[in-house]
Amino acid sequence: MIVIGLIGALFTIFIAGFGVTMSIFARARRVNVIECACLAWLLGCGIVSLLLWICGSFCSGFILQILVALTCIALGICGWRMKRSANAVFAFSKPTSAVEWILGTIVALEIAVLLFVAFKHTLGWDGLLNWEIKARYAFFNGGTIPSSYYSSAGRAFSHPEYPLAIPLTELWLYLWMGEPNQFWVKIIFPLFYAACAPLLAIFVSRFGGKCWIGLATAALLPFVPSVSASPGGIVVGYVDVPLSAFYLAALGYLLLWFKTDQREFVIAFAACSALLPWVKSEGRILWAVIVFVGFALSISKRRIPQFIFSIVPGFVLLVVWRIFLKLVHAWPPSDFSHLSFGLLLNNAGRLREIATTLLAELSEPTHWSIFWLLVAVAVIYFLGSRKLGGIAVVGAVIVPIVLYSLTYLFSTWPSYSAHMTSSMPRLLLHVMPAGWLAIGLALAQPRSETPSRTDVSSA
Amino acid sequence: MRWLSYVHIALWSGLFAIFVWISSPIVGPAVMENRIGPADTNRSIDAYLGALTGIERGSEKLPDAFRHLGKSGRLVIFTRDENAQSEFLGMMISYVSWPRDVQLIKVKGPTVEKELADIQPGSVVGVVFCSINPPTWLSNRVRLGSSIVLVPVTQDAP
Repeated sequence: MIVIGLIGALFTIFIAGFGVTMSIFARARRVNVIECACLAWLLGCGIVSLLLWICGSFCSGFILQILVALTCIALGICGWRMKRSANAVFAFSKPTSAVEWILGTIVALEIAVLLFVAFKHTLGWDGLLNWEIKARYAFFNGGTIPSSYYSSAGRAFSHPEYPLAIPLTELWLYLWMGEPNQFWVKIIFPLFYAACAPLLAIFVSRFGGKCWIGLATAALLPFVPSVSASPGGIVVGYVDVPLSAFYLAALGYLLLWFKTDQREFVIAFAACSALLPWVKSEGRILWAVIVFVGFALSISKRRIPQFIFSIVPGFVLLVVWRIFLKLVHAWPPSDFSHLSFGLLLNNAGRLREIATTLLAELSEPTHWSIFWLLVAVAVIYFLGSRKLGGIAVVGAVIVPIVLYSLTYLFSTWPSYSAHMTSSMPRLLLHVMPAGWLAIGLALAQPRSETPSRTDVSSA
Repeated sequence: MRWLSYVHIALWSGLFAIFVWISSPIVGPAVMENRIGPADTNRSIDAYLGALTGIERGSEKLPDAFRHLGKSGRLVIFTRDENAQSEFLGMMISYVSWPRDVQLIKVKGPTVEKELADIQPGSVVGVVFCSINPPTWLSNRVRLGSSIVLVPVTQDAP
């Protein structure tokens, strides 16, 4: 029964995400099946968690579960009908050479291995005490997080102020399984990887014009040790890889919109970027960076109204979540002080050690191998080419790292360097797939040209 | 500019080879370690509590022990400051004791005499010591595991 419930939960997530993805891409006429499946998972998790949060404010228990499940199915049906009315067809771009077949098989095998490996580990410290704890308490409270949890001083260690995309996705699985099963719930984390790797391959293929380069980049992705062998990886139930998947998707669709001006890409960007602050608090920084990058790109193409419209969902979600935290008197975060110019000046002396610690982390082979050296080479390529799209990718990778590092100027830990050492490896994961996108684009650069509308849709 | 293409291919081939060469000995063993399962409901909680305290099925036994303290009332949990194991255990106790109100107190020194004296006994139903020895004068101790002691607070306690 537990496994049947698990399948039901995953199915409803996919159906909801599929419906929304279909409604976005129906106008494109040709819908890439793999891209649709990847986005279905990402958007499905966002939709289900938002529905549980919103509907949980006025109902609970079985009614809540039924209401959310029916909405998911309704979204799926709407998306399917929109696809049919637009005469859109599913397209599956088969590998065209032996190399592409081999690389595609490697990517599929890597996903299968990580899916298997995730079940070999328990949830990690943060995975259990920051994220799963919320899902468990909500499960025992009929599907809503008890309001007393947010203001409980004794549970302040679990960061009640953290956003709920992942905890409520875990809750959805619990509701369907009928118990808070900490073994099966881990399936959602490798599924985020399974969405991220093919999306990376698709983006690189579309920009570079060569499918094998995209597949090669995706095949190299799990060789970054932090993905599977370090704290924060997908095997211990942390949200850093899921956040990185949303960030990659937001960046990829932003760049596709910049290149082609196809409306579906800016809508996909709007959906993926809006969910960044809903996955993790650091998603606010990523959202701000991607908005800045997008603003710069839209100015160059004179598409500012469209772009401003696309950032409204993310902005609304940010504001509503802040208001909600105020209303429930959420225990304030204690790891960082409030930003102030005085404190900034006072702690400016930390900059040198922060830079040293950052460089030490970037060059740590047990976490990254030489991944950041590859990114550095890609950055040199883009700076040499002086193309706005390339500079945008560089900004989307480097600016979050700089901003993340600067936050330690406001760290309240007795040792800010210990704070940085413990959390920086996980924060760097957020831009890791975007870094691979930069590497893939640099790899394809000598032959890269602006793809036509047809190339971009069908790749 | 054909030579540039050769340099491009050679550069990236070399970098990717080094990347995989360094990564493989780290990623390979990480993938191979541990065995799958068991598919228990409270797999993560039980694994941590088992490793830290030796308690089997701690997710059930600890809430049972706290249930004997009464339906309401606060649980005070003492942990050793800057001792990751003790702090983690304290958080685990807090986690499994939901919905009871808890208070986590980090202790810097080797004794908890001063901190105990500061507690208002009115609403407190029990005190848990995580990797900390309770004062010798404190009676009525219940050892729940190798590094966890519960002291129920009765109405007539000082």
